Amino acid sequence: MKEYIPTIGLEVHVELKSKSKMFSPAPNQYGGRANYNTTVVDLGYPGTLPWLNREVVSIGLRACKVLNCTITRRMHFDRKNYFYPDNPKNYQITQSRTPIGRNGFLEIEVDGTFKKVEIEEMHIEEDTCKSMHKGDVSLLDFNRAGVPLIEIVTKPCLSSSEEAMAYLETLRRTLFYASISDCKMEEGSMRCDANISIREVGSNQLGTKIEVKNIGSIHNVGLSIEKEIERQKACLERGEILREETRRFDDNLGETVLMRVKETGNDYRYFPEPDIPFVEVTDDMVEEALFSMEMLPKERKEIYLSRGISSVNVEKLLQNKELSDYLNTYIDTDLDFVVGSNLLLGDISSFLNRTHQTLKDTLLTKEKFQALVFKISTKELSSRNVKDILDDLMETEEDMDAIISKKGIENISDTTYLEETIRKILLENVSSVEDYKNGKDRAVKYLMGQIMKETKGKANPSMANEMLLKELSKQ
Amino acid sequence: MSKYLDLSIQEIHELLVKKEVTPKDLVVECFERIKENETLNAFITLNEDAISIAESLGEVEEDNLLFGLPIAVKDNIVTKELRTTCASKMLENFLPIYDATVVENIKKQKMIIIGKTNMDEFAMGSTSRTSYFDAPKNPWNKNCIAGGSSGGSAACVAARLIPFALGSDTGGSIRQPASYCGIVGMKPTYGRISRYGLVAFGSSLDQIGPMTRNVYENAVLLSNLTSFDEKDMTSSKKEKEDYTRFIGKEIKGMKIGVPNYWMSDIVEEEIRLEMEKTIRRLEELGATVERIDIDYIENAVTLYQIIAMGEASSNLARFDGVRYGYRTENPSDVEEMYRKTRQAGFGREVKRRIMIGSYLLSGENAVTYYNKALQIRDDIKKSFEHAFETYDLIIGPTTTTVAYSLDENLDDPMKSFMDDILVIPVNMAGLPGMNVPIAFNHNHMPIGLHIVGPSFGEAKMYQLAYAIEQDKKLNLNPKEEVA
Amino acid sequence: MEDKLPKEEVLHVADLARIAVTEEELETYQVQLKKMLDEVDKIKEVKNYDEEMLICPWDHEASLRSDEVGEVLSNQEVLQNAPSHTGNFIEVPVMINE
Repeated sequence: MKEYIPTIGLEVHVELKSKSKMFSPAPNQYGGRANYNTTVVDLGYPGTLPWLNREVVSIGLRACKVLNCTITRRMHFDRKNYFYPDNPKNYQITQSRTPIGRNGFLEIEVDGTFKKVEIEEMHIEEDTCKSMHKGDVSLLDFNRAGVPLIEIVTKPCLSSSEEAMAYLETLRRTLFYASISDCKMEEGSMRCDANISIREVGSNQLGTKIEVKNIGSIHNVGLSIEKEIERQKACLERGEILREETRRFDDNLGETVLMRVKETGNDYRYFPEPDIPFVEVTDDMVEEALFSMEMLPKERKEIYLSRGISSVNVEKLLQNKELSDYLNTYIDTDLDFVVGSNLLLGDISSFLNRTHQTLKDTLLTKEKFQALVFKISTKELSSRNVKDILDDLMETEEDMDAIISKKGIENISDTTYLEETIRKILLENVSSVEDYKNGKDRAVKYLMGQIMKETKGKANPSMANEMLLKELSKQ
Repeated sequence: MSKYLDLSIQEIHELLVKKEVTPKDLVVECFERIKENETLNAFITLNEDAISIAESLGEVEEDNLLFGLPIAVKDNIVTKELRTTCASKMLENFLPIYDATVVENIKKQKMIIIGKTNMDEFAMGSTSRTSYFDAPKNPWNKNCIAGGSSGGSAACVAARLIPFALGSDTGGSIRQPASYCGIVGMKPTYGRISRYGLVAFGSSLDQIGPMTRNVYENAVLLSNLTSFDEKDMTSSKKEKEDYTRFIGKEIKGMKIGVPNYWMSDIVEEEIRLEMEKTIRRLEELGATVERIDIDYIENAVTLYQIIAMGEASSNLARFDGVRYGYRTENPSDVEEMYRKTRQAGFGREVKRRIMIGSYLLSGENAVTYYNKALQIRDDIKKSFEHAFETYDLIIGPTTTTVAYSLDENLDDPMKSFMDDILVIPVNMAGLPGMNVPIAFNHNHMPIGLHIVGPSFGEAKMYQLAYAIEQDKKLNLNPKEEVA
Repeated sequence: MEDKLPKEEVLHVADLARIAVTEEELETYQVQLKKMLDEVDKIKEVKNYDEEMLICPWDHEASLRSDEVGEVLSNQEVLQNAPSHTGNFIEVPVMINE
């Protein structure tokens, strides 16, 4: 069997998080009652004109920044003409000559190696309405019509399903952290089309491109690519000639199925949109777009690793932006990030899950969290103790010390901690140990004194005494 | 029968202030006149609420010359809950659910919309004969066309049925019928008047404008139509102006250019002679008039066809039987719904233009035709700008002929473009252009002068137009003349 | 020069424009569309000054809307002009699945 190299390019649509739609002041929401979120503009009524939302441009500029694209400073819109009932004007306002961004990249990591995925261009466009098929009719809901989208097009530079999935995951996370989109593939706020071709090793010419449209999850993008590569290989092996076609991924079959053979190129009759003048992207607009932008996952990861958090926990934190955002509020303090992240991912996460709350809903103050982390890192509180006091910390306004004394854990009774302290004291006082062996009981008293000093008087005396004698007997 | 509507708007206003006449009287008279002249077929729909609106206007606003006056609106400008058909079967029963910005403006002025005027279907045509509701007729000779596409608006003002009408002008559709009917029609600078609510034909060419009995009333109406409208991103942010401010000032020292092409033999001799006479009078009044060349104006019809039809093919794609308007009976699937709805809903002229427009934008044609047209369009604009560095205004005849017979040139797909050959270049460059009547031909059909100004130069155009109007003192009331 | 457009070309543009054409109409269009295309073909002979295009005679750059939510239509208004509707939805004959 011959060897083949797959070439993959991805086109991703994401819905932007603006308050209102791209060209009308209707709310940017859908999913509620059908046809309750529209204006005459969204319905494409005769005489209406597009009224461009500044925030959409701003979010687009942010996307350019995080995807390292060159911004088109004088940009414009185009009409893409095609008839379809979900397309209210039967043309879509998009950008074809002057996409807002070009020539960007996104760095991904696959099995420890880094790769820059090249982004050809990204442009702003309006979403279509939603249709539902019922017997011999289709029902149209225009709430989604006019929702702002950006389409991000990679160069055909991916070579495996792993790379494609890593790109999508990184893209999803980046756009989510930059408040560009919710990026929920299952709800349709992020959609992906994949262009897949294979060519023989040694051949310079790209193979026939097959497009798999509207794949519903990152996992399925991976599957589609694998199945498509297999299918195309099998075709070529059988001596068939591949034709350009559009396919979709069938969830039930777990493979791609033919939608239609491509005609001689779709004739979208693009032309410049006369209803919208040129948009001049000024430095102020760029600055404004980036002003409120949050730290991206890449930078967060670097900081977390440098502060000692394990890569497993870094990954977990990045999956939960709320916790990561919370931890980030301590970046300028000397908080122990290892303890802090353990706490957030462990006891605090369980508390939040159990009570169905977010951190903002709780009464955990910055002071309380800092004190808690400090007491854990200085071993003043054991993991057992934390479990005892956490609910009170989260649900009451009492401060740390009050909660600790209320719970009666003023004295340190953590056996592990005491054991460690005692061993340390014994190591540091070899002569006293010798004295004890030689029958000098006074030595016990001296060593107890050292233990109390080390624990700032908080060790439980009877427990400490008992453990000290036990430890000495081993010597 | 009362004759208030033959008075000037200043005189009517005085009577309104003195309470010798009410807005309702004006509306009633207006309806009577429309009824008497039903054969003109100037209106598609009358506003049944007009009388009750007139009754509810309240106290006369003394400083508002337009208060309580009736106005007719071309039927491609949407009026909430008042049928708007674009003279098409496609929208035969269409009740808009919002008002055009210009309609909001005239309502704010307390003007009363009497009805919607007849026109070429979707404003495509030069004679108003493509109307689904039959052609309007020329008040000077009912066997002749009123011109188009704003034929109904021109006819109703010319026949003195109403003092004011709104038209729209994509390639001469205000100025050419104004010339054929002997009234004053202004197509303002692109962006002067909001297009929000004007059913788009050629988005980069369309402008709404006032059509009136005389120059002064035209300037007053325009002053009240212009406003920056955020809903139309192409509308200009220029300050509001009083366009009457130069009216009555002498034109001594004014420099006027006359393009050679506009005086060439494409224009009927009788019209050229009247032009020459007018030019001599302007010189006697102290203006300098010189022959000039404007590059590319002879290519304007070709450019217009490409740009207007290209844009139209896209703008009219929304008429598909889904959300509003006509839908064919029992289509078996979506594709059949589209094709049969558009086959039956649109008339021949509209279908021809949509098909050609689709062709011009398809595949490589977008570059060969469309982009090339946009490049030459830029050149036309520059050559006009160059001329306006030397001249205050440019003039020529508005049309190559006077209004012709309703039966003439029915099936020539090119004729409708050639009727507008002199007025189209102005839309290409987005400039203001207006018609002012200057004479009658041997059959007593009106001849018009076309005045073109630099961008946002309307006030100066009114100054010249008024000087000519005062100099000619034509009797422009067809009832008195033709009786 | 042939004074008729080939039938296939007329059918192609009618298809782009989604306009059904009868046999009789087809013949008329062959002649009429040809006349119009001959006119627009003249553009090829015209020499332009430069490459700059005028899309629209705007006198300013775009001024953008601030991101605020405004009034929406009632469901009744949305459906008011629709030739066919079911419940809250506008209805069309079944769409071929895209």
